[in-house]
Amino acid sequence: MPPKLDINKAGWEQSEFPVLCETCLGDNPFIRMSKQEFGRSCGTCARPFTVFRWNPGSGMRFKTTVICQTCAKIKNVCQTCLLDLEYGLPTQVRDTALGFVNEAPTSDINREYYAQNMEGKLDGNKSGLDTSKAQSAGKEMLKQLARTDPYYKRNRPKVCSFFVKGECTRGTECPYRHEKPVDNELAHQNIQDRYHGRNDPVARKILGAHAESQGLKPPEDQNITSLFLSSLSPDSTELSIRTQVLRSLPTVQPAELKSVVHVAKSRCAFVNFKERDTCERAAEAWANGLEIDGQRVAVKWGRSKASKPPTPVTSSVAVAS
Amino acid sequence: MPKIRTTRTKKPPEGYEEIESILDDYARKMRDAENESHEGKRKAESLWPIMQISHARSRYVYELYYKREAISKPLYDWLLKEGFADANLIAKWKKPGYEKLCCLRCIQTKDMNYQGSTCICRVPKAQVRSGTVVNCVHCGCRGCSSDS
Repeated sequence: MPPKLDINKAGWEQSEFPVLCETCLGDNPFIRMSKQEFGRSCGTCARPFTVFRWNPGSGMRFKTTVICQTCAKIKNVCQTCLLDLEYGLPTQVRDTALGFVNEAPTSDINREYYAQNMEGKLDGNKSGLDTSKAQSAGKEMLKQLARTDPYYKRNRPKVCSFFVKGECTRGTECPYRHEKPVDNELAHQNIQDRYHGRNDPVARKILGAHAESQGLKPPEDQNITSLFLSSLSPDSTELSIRTQVLRSLPTVQPAELKSVVHVAKSRCAFVNFKERDTCERAAEAWANGLEIDGQRVAVKWGRSKASKPPTPVTSSVAVAS
Repeated sequence: MPKIRTTRTKKPPEGYEEIESILDDYARKMRDAENESHEGKRKAESLWPIMQISHARSRYVYELYYKREAISKPLYDWLLKEGFADANLIAKWKKPGYEKLCCLRCIQTKDMNYQGSTCICRVPKAQVRSGTVVNCVHCGCRGCSSDS
């Protein structure tokens, strides 16, 4: 029976062309691709999909698609490198900057079910991502971070495993790279985490570096868990600030926010978090500022207790806590 | 792989004694290759020596009969039947363009990455893009087109 007539196989993907980014396709505009129907199970939803394989240029390794088109469209990512199609950034960076929620389930059967449902909703080549209601500060941050020209170094061959063991006999004929492998955090990545945007080392590096360049380097003192928002709009209230803060940080539960202290007179506010880690994630997300009540708000790290700014702030913290 | 000969098996046709020592050499080489360790080799590489010895033996039988005409038809048929040479491979060698074919897998178009193509070792040397290392995964052949 051809797969499509079987009810259990009706959702299997059959496609004519992959969803790919410019870098993965390589510099040659004429490439030859091989297509294999139901060649492999999708790296995220585990359903069989049409695998494409091609060589992105001489001296490069063969690349293949690793996730199915439904999954790629839901997140608007490349089927091979899992980077965002518009900005070329990891999903975690994009979602943090734009304040998107990761709603895809991660348990085995649920993710298959979810992918099947989403497939019906995505019509044609439309991506499942709606960026219209995202914050302009977030979009600006992505524009700064995005790489404009394709980065073909990503298509290089892998490091020769025989060379690493010191026994490659092929010498200069070896198509793999003869280099010492670097063993850092970036060497440990996996498809699931990269796709869903959880503890992605690349994203952590990008966001950390960006926050630092924007003057939001996490202070040495580990007790500091507050961020300082200044130049607020005159009609902001504590409630509107809290709402906007939580909306821009979908991963943060309301309970993780200790307090929001609004100093209406000087048009500034302190956002206090319970955990240092949450605070650092928030600083990374707001590296380019935050929009509250139509006003771009500047973000700074709070000061440590010893050199705390004058009385009104300390008293209000005391009131709140 | 030639069948094991015992006292009950039929006697080989005439002329076998002259080539027996060379065929025994091949058998010994084959046994050594079979017992060789796969350590330090790539996955694809481990079967190459076996393919190469089998090719060389087929070639030897082929040349004995067709080129040097040193053996009789019954002996040649017996050698093929006993598996000293690959009849299908020899059949290809008789065709123009396939005179040096390394193995049958290298001309199986269905096994290739792109529909209707053959192995890299079948590409004539003049047409191979410079910088390409020709060393096929099936048998380790470095080029078996008729012009090479």
